[in-house]
Amino acid sequence: MPLAMPLEWRLAWRNVWRNPRRTALTVAATVFAVALVVFSTALSEGMWAKIIDDSVGMASGHVTLTGPGYLEERTLEQFTTLDPALEQLLVSEPEVIAFAPRVNAFGLLSMAEATRGVMVLGLDPGSEDAVSSLPRRVTSGRFLSGEQPREIVVGRRLAEILGAKIGSELLLYSVAYSLESAYDLFRVVGIMDLPNPGLDRGLALISLADAQEFFVYGDRLSEIAIRGAPGVDAEELAAELAAKIDPNRAEAHPWQAVMPELAQSVVLDKAGMYLMLIILVIVVAFGIFNTILMAVLERKKEFGVVLALGLRPRAIFRTVYLESILLAGVGLVIGLAIAIPGVLYLHANPIPLGDSEEMTAAFEMIGAEPVITALLQVQNPLYSALAILAVALIAAFYPALRASRGRPVDVLRSL
Amino acid sequence: MRFALSPLIPIVLSIASASANAELLPAPPGSDAREIARRAEDTLRSARTILEAEMTVVSPRLSNPRVVRFRSWEERDTKQSMIRISKPPKDAGTGFLKIESNLWMFVPRVERTIRIPPSMMLQSWMGSDMTNDDLVKESSTLDDYDHRLVGIDNEIEGNPGLSAYVVEYLPHEDAPVVWGKITTWIEYEHGTPLQQEFYDEDGQLMRRMRFSDIRAVGERQVPHHWSMVPLDKEGHSTTISIEEIVFDAEIPAEVFTKRNLRKARR
Repeated sequence: MPLAMPLEWRLAWRNVWRNPRRTALTVAATVFAVALVVFSTALSEGMWAKIIDDSVGMASGHVTLTGPGYLEERTLEQFTTLDPALEQLLVSEPEVIAFAPRVNAFGLLSMAEATRGVMVLGLDPGSEDAVSSLPRRVTSGRFLSGEQPREIVVGRRLAEILGAKIGSELLLYSVAYSLESAYDLFRVVGIMDLPNPGLDRGLALISLADAQEFFVYGDRLSEIAIRGAPGVDAEELAAELAAKIDPNRAEAHPWQAVMPELAQSVVLDKAGMYLMLIILVIVVAFGIFNTILMAVLERKKEFGVVLALGLRPRAIFRTVYLESILLAGVGLVIGLAIAIPGVLYLHANPIPLGDSEEMTAAFEMIGAEPVITALLQVQNPLYSALAILAVALIAAFYPALRASRGRPVDVLRSL
Repeated sequence: MRFALSPLIPIVLSIASASANAELLPAPPGSDAREIARRAEDTLRSARTILEAEMTVVSPRLSNPRVVRFRSWEERDTKQSMIRISKPPKDAGTGFLKIESNLWMFVPRVERTIRIPPSMMLQSWMGSDMTNDDLVKESSTLDDYDHRLVGIDNEIEGNPGLSAYVVEYLPHEDAPVVWGKITTWIEYEHGTPLQQEFYDEDGQLMRRMRFSDIRAVGERQVPHHWSMVPLDKEGHSTTISIEEIVFDAEIPAEVFTKRNLRKARR
């Protein structure tokens, strides 16, 4: 401690190290708590950001434009179109990175004896790469070319169910928008591995042009999937787009509305985690309280003497408070110094969970790549710092009050 | 608000049906609801029935209605049936073979047979308001339901001058039935079905079917015009117009085979 420090600081600093073992234990507890809070929030943020990003890339983007009522009915009857005005709006919107027009319908896919009901996604091969991860999921063969007619890409499990290989001809049957029967043969050009088993068993991709012809759909679209800028607030972007688009032509839905189960899981998981962390912080609070109170009680004599010498009670109150803040502050700094580099490292180097089958399965269930990663958000270390400091302030109140309230006469008499 | 109101729906419905029932006359004592239902069933079906009909589908998305012509063969006891489409030209030759709860479809243009999986049973049949499930329905209007006679109705829309028993069909708990209740109007004298209202499990009226154009076929009084309106889809309707119906026909067993299904008669 530099000598230039005011008296109270010096006193506090020395007092803190009078009982090094006790102080070290308390600091260690604080370090542990801070590191745990920062690390677990970053892990959770990282995991959910990854899951949301993967799911959004798998599904309908951060924001989806659909025809009115599409989310409720999900039939060909609810459609929208991509006219020049809408295209211009999306291009000029800075939060929109890319968008992809799609047709989405049910169909029966059949080969030899095997038939399966599938979701047929008609998409524009050129636009899709920037919006979804689907083109990169193709592990055998290739993605749709957009040049040859009647190409189809299916999930791995779907291909196995149907017994289809690259080059197989599959019969697609459905009911067109015109209510006619729609059927045609499609040639498998690619097989994709989708982490979500339901999609892997039930998703087939054809080109947008083929889909519009097959379903006699003209230039109609089921949805326009929009990828937002990194860290985009999907709900805000959706509201902004909705305000600029005629609601009779299209609705804008954030992914939270398209995938409410996922949004709910995020909220539930985070609520559970924060509850645990609050309990942890309360435990640390009692640790600090205990340390400070002990330190005050064993210094009764000392306080009596300095009070008799004329030190003001307020100065004693401040000293004790400073001790508490120093204790928590040291723990906080060390804790952050340990946790933040760890988080940054994990963010840059996600740990794949390839070896554990159970973990992999759990991640696949929710449709995300099985990796552990972390995402540092400024507010999380900030909040934990504030929480620990608040704890130090609250925990020190009673000991500080005790220390400053002693009457010198009583204290000295009890010696 | 949606959640708060939903418990009221059954109450509102029961009030509505109570007021509707107020116009009904009491049924004569000793009437047997199940027996009345059996007569209705026998009016439209026999051990082996051949039917030629035209189905007209109206939808807000169509400028002209879609007309599908088909011929069907049904053997009641073995739960087998065969349907062959002859119109429109694009669908001509398409066939459906039903054996118990299995449904196959043959598409002649690509010469492929598809087995329709159970997950697709509630999809539209040929673009109509009927579902695949309506074709393969395993349930029997007699064995899977309890029947309750509600009264007698003298004013039936579309069939002036006729009186009908109003019978409620309430499905058994374990019955393979998608409906919560079916109310059927059955003509007093001949047992001709005149109208059916289909309710879902929440008591919401989902579909109304009206039978009219009653003509004598042998001893039966058979409605030749069936019109179905799904009440949850505005502007949609499906009408079936019977061109020919043969009861107790001779149908060779060969008809209900996959080999026959693949014989497209364009």
